[in-house]
Amino acid sequence: MDTDQNRAVTRTFSLRGLTSSPFERGRTRQTDDVSGFNMPAPLEIIGAHKAFRSPEGATVTALDNVSVKLAQAEFMTLLGPSGCGKTTLLRTISGFETLDAGDILIDGKEVTNQPAFRRPVNTVFQRYALFDHMNVARNVGYALEIAGKSKRDIQARVGEMLELVGLEGLGQRNISQLSGGQQQRVALARALAAKPKLLLLDEPLSALDKNLRQKMQQELKTLQRELGIGFIFVTHDQEEALTMSDRIAVLANGKIQQLGAPDALYTKPANLFTADFLGESNLLPVAIERGVATLADGQNFPCSNESAKGTLLLRPEVLRRTAPSEPSLTVQGTVVASYYQGKDCLVDFESPSLGALKANLREFKSLPERGETVSFYASTSDLHVINEVSS
Amino acid sequence: MKLSDRKTWNLRALLAAPTAFLLIFFFGPLLIMVVYSFLTPGIYGGVDWTFSHLNYGRILGWADTKYEKFDPVFLWIFLRSLRLAALTVLTCVLVSYPAAFWISRMPKARRNMAIFLVTLPFFVSLIVRLFAWVLILRPTGFLNQGLMGLGLTSEPLEFLYTDFAVIVGMTYVFIPFMFLPLYASIEKLDSSQIEASMDLGATRFQTFRKVVLPATLPGIIGGSVITFIPSLGNFIVPSVLGGAKVVMIGNLIEQQFLSARNWPFGSALAMLVMAAVLCLLLAQLKLARTTEERA
Repeated sequence: MDTDQNRAVTRTFSLRGLTSSPFERGRTRQTDDVSGFNMPAPLEIIGAHKAFRSPEGATVTALDNVSVKLAQAEFMTLLGPSGCGKTTLLRTISGFETLDAGDILIDGKEVTNQPAFRRPVNTVFQRYALFDHMNVARNVGYALEIAGKSKRDIQARVGEMLELVGLEGLGQRNISQLSGGQQQRVALARALAAKPKLLLLDEPLSALDKNLRQKMQQELKTLQRELGIGFIFVTHDQEEALTMSDRIAVLANGKIQQLGAPDALYTKPANLFTADFLGESNLLPVAIERGVATLADGQNFPCSNESAKGTLLLRPEVLRRTAPSEPSLTVQGTVVASYYQGKDCLVDFESPSLGALKANLREFKSLPERGETVSFYASTSDLHVINEVSS
Repeated sequence: MKLSDRKTWNLRALLAAPTAFLLIFFFGPLLIMVVYSFLTPGIYGGVDWTFSHLNYGRILGWADTKYEKFDPVFLWIFLRSLRLAALTVLTCVLVSYPAAFWISRMPKARRNMAIFLVTLPFFVSLIVRLFAWVLILRPTGFLNQGLMGLGLTSEPLEFLYTDFAVIVGMTYVFIPFMFLPLYASIEKLDSSQIEASMDLGATRFQTFRKVVLPATLPGIIGGSVITFIPSLGNFIVPSVLGGAKVVMIGNLIEQQFLSARNWPFGSALAMLVMAAVLCLLLAQLKLARTTEERA
């Protein structure tokens, strides 16, 4: 996605959104076709801007001209370090924060100034926020109870939801009698009971232990596919983001650094932040001239980047101990430390010309010893050059 | 000797002194009161050791027909005390609930300061504070002058020595008693539960009724009980702000012991207050148990 062009488009959109008459604002806005069918996007954010005043009196920009459009039934993850603006973005969608500028459209309808209780979205909160004075069934049926549905309808839907999340027969339990994982499921069932157009999930798995978290990741993904509604998932866990998402929006300093499919983000990051934030990386400066990139040690490889300088992203796992038949780079160095991790092994080594590097070996007969001189190879097709140079 | 045995014995030794203290100085006087309430008053004060149930009869409806007819005035005073105490509890809740809510959402440093301010009146003598209220409520007091200054009334209104003055005074005195348990339960309420409720479609009012109020009910009940009990037996506030016009059961008991010197009748009145309080505590216990079962 070309960010500059994107920004220009957003400007005009947000201006139009701010200056349009109330009549126009309420109308369904024609949006680009994202799904192939002529349906409005489940969520569209246009030029969102939000600043906070810190306790010290400084102004902190939480969202800086953020524009994003969700495709039909898409699982999108907002990923970034704490304080990057991901939670603020989620809270503006749910309606707990109002934007300073910009528009939010849910299902093609503008909701920018609507209070949370009017929006057709529901949230799974980080610490679940279950009502502990109600039993499981009343928690799950809460939205329907508020909407004034009949007892029979509520009971039927609650049963359906509990079955969906695998808690059949636990409706009469108290919240305090449930395990963390079960509470998580209740929160999920409660948020889905009113059939929201969009489900927002605010780091919902962060309180679970690793095994349960992985299980829930898969279940959430399956559930999202079955329901066919959009999920916006906030996390700071990059592995979680890579596992579950259709697309990931990497956020930092209130801006979307990159938006794309997990594999594209991982193998071809657009900037240093994304490269560094997602997974482990070796970042090496290169000089580029006439389609050839040259490393500090003089090795070169074909490169189509336009800029004169760049950074080579060398993922630790593309390094191999045996030279491949296709053209490749060779890095040599002395092992500083090696870590056995079961299915793979991590090697920290120091190259005289390229500095400290990391390699992740899938196939190895024996662990490289400390002080041993090693050679690693990376085929040039596995290389990716970023147009930025680290300062 | 096993370790657990030794621990038990150590514990018993430690608890012996406070237990003895309570037995002698709490249950002892109480027992004396119970016994006195069934005796006949002595002619020059004190008690005559002859059994009598008429102390209770005078209040509850059977009288010694030889010397006096049954007069429901004592029962009325008792019922009025119940009513004033209940109204005090109500106004305390109405004042403390929003205050506790507001303070619980403050930044931490300011929160502690606010709680300190709420409890600050405790540091000043009760009598001084009540006479300050006399200055505010009397016909030439600040309240009347203010009202007349604003042209809302041409003549001073009667505030002092009314039920209103007593309720204002007791509310003022007992607000910290209500505030602290309320604050404890409101502060525990996770604000994300409020957000969750609104997220699920509830308006602010619905959220208050369905989430906030039920979640803070234990605090309301706890605060009500510990406000109601001292309000019911209070005699300083009604004697300063109610004068001779608003007599509560506490004043009556005080009179029986100190001026009328009818100790058995005073004891019987005191027993009645205690019975009312015990009933209330039992009801609260039962309520707490049912909510616990449900929760």
